[in-house]
Amino acid sequence: MSGVSTVPNGSADGPRQELLARAAIDRSCRAPVLLFAGSAVLWLLVGSVWALLAAVKMHTPGLLTSWEPLTFGRVRPVHLNMTIFGWASMSGIAVLLWLQARLARARLPFPNLLIAGGVVWNLALAAGVWEISAGHGTSVEWIEIPLFWALVFAAVFAVVMAASLTMFARRNVAHVYVSQWYLFGAVLWFPFLYLMANALIHAGFTRGVTAAATNWWFAHNVLGLWLTPIGLATIYYLIPKVIGAPIHSYHLSLLGFWSLALFYNWAGTHHLIGGPLPAWLVTVGIVGSVMMFVPVVTVGINHHMTMVGHFHRLADSPTLRFVVFAGMSYTVVSVQGSLTSLRSINEINHFTHYTVAHAHLGVYAFFSMAMFGALYYVLPRLTGREWSSARLIKVHFWASAAGIALYWGPLTVGGWLQGLAMNNPDVPFLEVMTGTVSWLWGRTAAGALMTVGHLVFAWLVARMLLSREPAPAVAAGPEPAGEGA
Amino acid sequence: MTLVYGMIWIVVLGFAASAVGALVWAIQHGQMERFGSAARSIFDEEEPVGTPTDAFPRSPAERRP
Repeated sequence: MSGVSTVPNGSADGPRQELLARAAIDRSCRAPVLLFAGSAVLWLLVGSVWALLAAVKMHTPGLLTSWEPLTFGRVRPVHLNMTIFGWASMSGIAVLLWLQARLARARLPFPNLLIAGGVVWNLALAAGVWEISAGHGTSVEWIEIPLFWALVFAAVFAVVMAASLTMFARRNVAHVYVSQWYLFGAVLWFPFLYLMANALIHAGFTRGVTAAATNWWFAHNVLGLWLTPIGLATIYYLIPKVIGAPIHSYHLSLLGFWSLALFYNWAGTHHLIGGPLPAWLVTVGIVGSVMMFVPVVTVGINHHMTMVGHFHRLADSPTLRFVVFAGMSYTVVSVQGSLTSLRSINEINHFTHYTVAHAHLGVYAFFSMAMFGALYYVLPRLTGREWSSARLIKVHFWASAAGIALYWGPLTVGGWLQGLAMNNPDVPFLEVMTGTVSWLWGRTAAGALMTVGHLVFAWLVARMLLSREPAPAVAAGPEPAGEGA
Repeated sequence: MTLVYGMIWIVVLGFAASAVGALVWAIQHGQMERFGSAARSIFDEEEPVGTPTDAFPRSPAERRP
């Protein structure tokens, strides 16, 4: 195992030294980060196929029903686990490791262990979705994968955690940048939540109402304490770095982090409004959700004010397009989430497609777009190769952006109408169901558009990773990482 | 069951302690001061403030040899 030593900060030795130091740090991340990122893209593709299948089954329920693994009850959790633990978590870990190394100005430690971790993660996820397809899923949302494989994920989390802490201990910079706070929030808190929820639910210590409360406390924290901090850390680093201007208000950025740390993990019980829980427990979740206005407003103002005067750069930078789209979506999804947690609104949208649209706004329009933007920035610096086509990057952006907009908008309206109809005792349930069909066709079309974007992205990544051309010198040191990189 | 109750308390207290501990550490180690220089800590002489670091790839014809 090599690459554990740190590199000098370089500020005393001038720009060239800094360039070499940064290139050496980027290079130390190469194999583990490329493995996690490449795997993430593969899971994104397979996850998209299962997503489309689930979407089509919503309006054409007779499709592929004769074989149990392709029935809706299994296809839907397989899609969720592939996209959350495959695409989102693996791209998140890839970006997290690279960001931690850059921000600590220390090389990535334990490369072989992290590579092994990436391989094991892939195997565990493949086994997990196989189990779900075979009918051995746990039927607990977001924890469908059986306990054994969950423990394997936890072991890989431990390696990622150790690498993060090691880089922090060996950091060559005095200040802990705001992105690092977010990344530590993700990497130090989430694995314990994951273990805890799995242990409590799968080992039979919670049942009925308590299992549901544990379930949604955890499931919401997948977004709140895992995907959100990684996404925000990415945005807080890449917007200033790409445009070359510091964050508008550093005060606000830290206020945003600490208020998120304080409020977000309370929010989960808003999923159980109207359920047989003690009212105070649900109210606690609603209070936590509404208090999320504080970090969301601080982040929204900060990102916007940082971009003021630089919006024209969106035309030049692929990373910036995706990341700014992600930042704006974070504000929208969070405001929507806080409002949706209110009982008066929730009684309409609960059990409708509105909630599905909201979840995709969070995981796709915010988190996935942030990861796309980050990978457009990171991969050229690790491989030393340029993206092969500006036009295809634009096709990816517009397919994904238009796809999620067409997904979220109509499904939100359709879901709301569905909710109003369900609350009206004069409307027969079957009529409510048939009323959703046209909206669900729209959802399938939007999903197909997003999938086109994923195929284009995968093609670009494959061309970069599998290129037989010898990599130019950009990542090796003496040249900058490419003006176009 | 005792084991699980113990674990719940360890996780709950560990969470709270880690957040409070991190905040105390941050204040004691000057992380809550000099915010102007903190915001600029991701820049250096090679990639200074004012230098964009990302652009669409140019077409092969436009690239340097």
